[in-house]
Amino acid sequence: MRRLRVWILRFVGMFGKEQRERELAAEIESHLQLHIEDNLRAGMSAVEARRQALVKLGGVEPTKEIYRERRGLPLLETLLQDLRYGFRALRKNPGFTAIAVITLALGIGANTAVFSMVNALLLHPYNFRDLDRLVRVWEDRGIDEGWDARWIAPQDAEDLRSGAQAFEGFTTYQEKSFNLTVGEGVQPVLGFRVSASFFGLLGINPAMGRTFAAAEEQPGADRVAIVSHGFWQRRFAGDPGLLGKTIQLNQGNYTVVGIMPQGFSYPVPAELWIPLALTPQEKADRSNLSLQALGRLRDGVNVAQAGAALEGIARRLQQEYPVTNAGRTASVLQLRKELYLYTLPMFGLLQAAAGFVLLLACANFANLLFARIIGRQKEVAVRTALGADRPRLARLFITEMLLLSSAAGMVAILVSLWSVKLLRTSISEDWTKWVPGWNGIQADRTALAFAILLAAAVGVLSGVATALHAGRVDPYATLKETGRGSMLGGKGKMRSALVVAQVTFALILLVCAGITAEGFVRLAKVYQGFEPANVLHLEISLPDKSYSDNTKVTGFYQQLLRVSAALPGARSAALVSNSPASNVDNETTFFTIEGRPALKASEASAADLQISSPDYFSTLRIRLVAGREYSDADNANAARVAVISRSMAAHFWPAGDELGQRIKLGAADSKEPWMTVVGVVEDVRQNWWNSSERPAIYEPFLQAPQRGMVFLLRTSANPTNQVSAMRDVVRQIDPQVAMRGVSTMDAEIADSIAIVRIMGVLMAVFGCVSLLLSSVGVYGVLAESVARRTPEIGIRLALGAEPRDVLKLVLGQALKLTGIGLAIGVPIAFAVNRAMAGFIFGVVSMSPAILAGFTALLLLVALVAGYVPARRAMRVDPMVALRYE
Amino acid sequence: MGEKADVWQGTLALMVLKTLDTLGPLHGYGIARRIEQTSGDLLAVNYGTLYPALLKLEQEGYISSEWGLSNNNRKAKYYKLTRVGRKQLEREARDWEQTTAILARFLTPGEEPS
Repeated sequence: MRRLRVWILRFVGMFGKEQRERELAAEIESHLQLHIEDNLRAGMSAVEARRQALVKLGGVEPTKEIYRERRGLPLLETLLQDLRYGFRALRKNPGFTAIAVITLALGIGANTAVFSMVNALLLHPYNFRDLDRLVRVWEDRGIDEGWDARWIAPQDAEDLRSGAQAFEGFTTYQEKSFNLTVGEGVQPVLGFRVSASFFGLLGINPAMGRTFAAAEEQPGADRVAIVSHGFWQRRFAGDPGLLGKTIQLNQGNYTVVGIMPQGFSYPVPAELWIPLALTPQEKADRSNLSLQALGRLRDGVNVAQAGAALEGIARRLQQEYPVTNAGRTASVLQLRKELYLYTLPMFGLLQAAAGFVLLLACANFANLLFARIIGRQKEVAVRTALGADRPRLARLFITEMLLLSSAAGMVAILVSLWSVKLLRTSISEDWTKWVPGWNGIQADRTALAFAILLAAAVGVLSGVATALHAGRVDPYATLKETGRGSMLGGKGKMRSALVVAQVTFALILLVCAGITAEGFVRLAKVYQGFEPANVLHLEISLPDKSYSDNTKVTGFYQQLLRVSAALPGARSAALVSNSPASNVDNETTFFTIEGRPALKASEASAADLQISSPDYFSTLRIRLVAGREYSDADNANAARVAVISRSMAAHFWPAGDELGQRIKLGAADSKEPWMTVVGVVEDVRQNWWNSSERPAIYEPFLQAPQRGMVFLLRTSANPTNQVSAMRDVVRQIDPQVAMRGVSTMDAEIADSIAIVRIMGVLMAVFGCVSLLLSSVGVYGVLAESVARRTPEIGIRLALGAEPRDVLKLVLGQALKLTGIGLAIGVPIAFAVNRAMAGFIFGVVSMSPAILAGFTALLLLVALVAGYVPARRAMRVDPMVALRYE
Repeated sequence: MGEKADVWQGTLALMVLKTLDTLGPLHGYGIARRIEQTSGDLLAVNYGTLYPALLKLEQEGYISSEWGLSNNNRKAKYYKLTRVGRKQLEREARDWEQTTAILARFLTPGEEPS
């Protein structure tokens, strides 16, 4: 209690200095006067009386000093003093401060931003309970079906679930498009049919209402729906009475029984869920991989064990049901990992690049610091000579460095907040809604804490380094000589080594950035074989109730094509089952060629299957290579025909005799009709991740109609002008049909590679930052070295050296340092490139042009960075330089 | 040096409190003179060390100060014992007596009871 009172009073004692000082002076003065009077009375002379009083007191200033120490909190006061001093020192050198702060901020900021993104997308894509134990389960047919094709047959799913003993919970679901009737019109809604166990398995409870009951999995009892928070807000304006209401989906009545919490959408971007009610026949089906499945692993079971168990059951099924299950295996994968199989290495690359930037930044900071320490030797010497003790000096430097690094930390936090925001908002929501966890990207608290810690660590370390160095300064020697040239041998080497390391890092980073950027450009060019400009893109899905047979379906679409192609400004209209750049893989199918030996199911030929209207090829301007395109004459009554892609023709008919051959879908024993190959068209790359052209079969829409199609309209001018006209056309044909995914082909392509583009841009930014940092490093070292060698240069000039020689001297040093850095960097860059090309999709191997370009660029930067100090050196006046010595 | 100084500070504080108890309100110079007179040359080195001690006692609330006039009409800062200070003095004095008594017994040779 009493102690607290003392501390408070002492704290208060730090303020109101003037008043307190006056009072102290008055008290001491009155003390002296009282004493002098006594002394005078004792018979001393006036002078002697004063002198004796002063001696007895112990001096006025020392008394005041010990009094002051008791009055305030000396430790805190020195700290404040150090801070003030630090501020002054940093303000006095704005160039140093700015470069140091920016250097550190870039290094730290890059890391926080990337870490935030990785954290959100990889570590927390979903907020499901115990995410690590959720797994995707699917069946593999032994053909490359693309990364999003993970399906399972209903009866197989049941066998795997009950046989494996690995799952605590298991659920199946299926995508379904809905048309929601709102007033007179309809709106498209992406929904899913899900088992009753679906929500429980994920561990998500509805915000209102309930989830599905097991009894609702029966056909007929399934007229209930659960909606997303977004669905409720957007389509029903948050109507509090929605729960329990009946809504119209695909012209049927469904009762809303639950509303999910905000932010829940699984599988993305679902808005609506109804029960998965399969008929007994559908449940017993093994031939169609029609469902998707998720499992929750039992406690103590890991993914590998579950995989082994499933593998065993799948083998048993192969033997028991060879007709349907031959060549089928079962696989399991952690849900968290599923989405990022292809992008994970890119995130790894980004994180590595950010780490490199930080290394570069630290090297740069250390270099700046060395320059500063050398510049401050005199100051340290003066302070030491004036009696500053080493702990006090150390405290001073550490305070200063902490100030510097906390400024950098703050800027870094701003940089990362800003870049995270930029990252999040720079991509259209149409694309990001497919990326789970995207909205969770935020300047992560862990990441910010990491930034602060990093800044503090750098501050303390550099402060200690400075202090240690300052402790070694011999004030006598330093003050006696001119202050130049002392102890620079070792430090000079150290700094040169740092510059070499910087050049090496910069080259590696630049090369990584270069090959990623070039890879990105190639990805953007991947969509060749068609012309995307001036094409409107929209999707239509006909409700199954009113379009129950093929005649109705083809009737609708034929009318749509006819009317829209006749719109003013329209060139041609077409349908296709899956447009390029949709980020969805084509359906993959086995096929059999007539007259060739039958193959086992696991060895059967496979190709992408596309269904299109005749004008598809002309609308997208896909070149016809041989034969003919199909026409409206190839309808349901005519002989079945097909068009194939060039790579398919080349692969299966290397002799070029493909026209007129017959193929059928499925294995040799399938009941599918034979189709005659009538034409060959240019290859079209479906999605950016397809590493090569895949064989493709095109079937005429009239011979294989389906309800959901992509509609494409080639226009003579900006295709978006046609959107409202198209809306009218569709409404006129059938007001119960909704358009979704309205966009242009150009936008589809841009959106589809958005994530890759972001990666490319970030890598390019990192590359530029590294270039900047390393040039600052080279400049710093050379500038300092020229300053140090001014007397030497003066002597050289006085002895008759030409300015040209001086230029050569300085630039030679620049080239030497850069050259060593490059010599080390080139082989490493090659190794890194090889490693990257091996595991990162879309990265190209390094062309000599890239390497030569960046090597030349770094040399150029070094020359420019060296030229400024070199010019200063050339202008050295020998007389001034020598006098200085 | 630290410990010695602490002992000295403690002793000095006790002497200050006792002086104020005996003589009533007094200025710094008066306290210094009084201590010098009673303790011989303890304070001979310098009077200055008294002032931080006075400040400390004031911060601890044992004494209070106010400006007043001396006998010969000179302005001076007068210190006086507070109620808490008086109690502290009693406690300190008792402690001190006890300590000295124990030490005295301890240091006196040959009189240990067996």
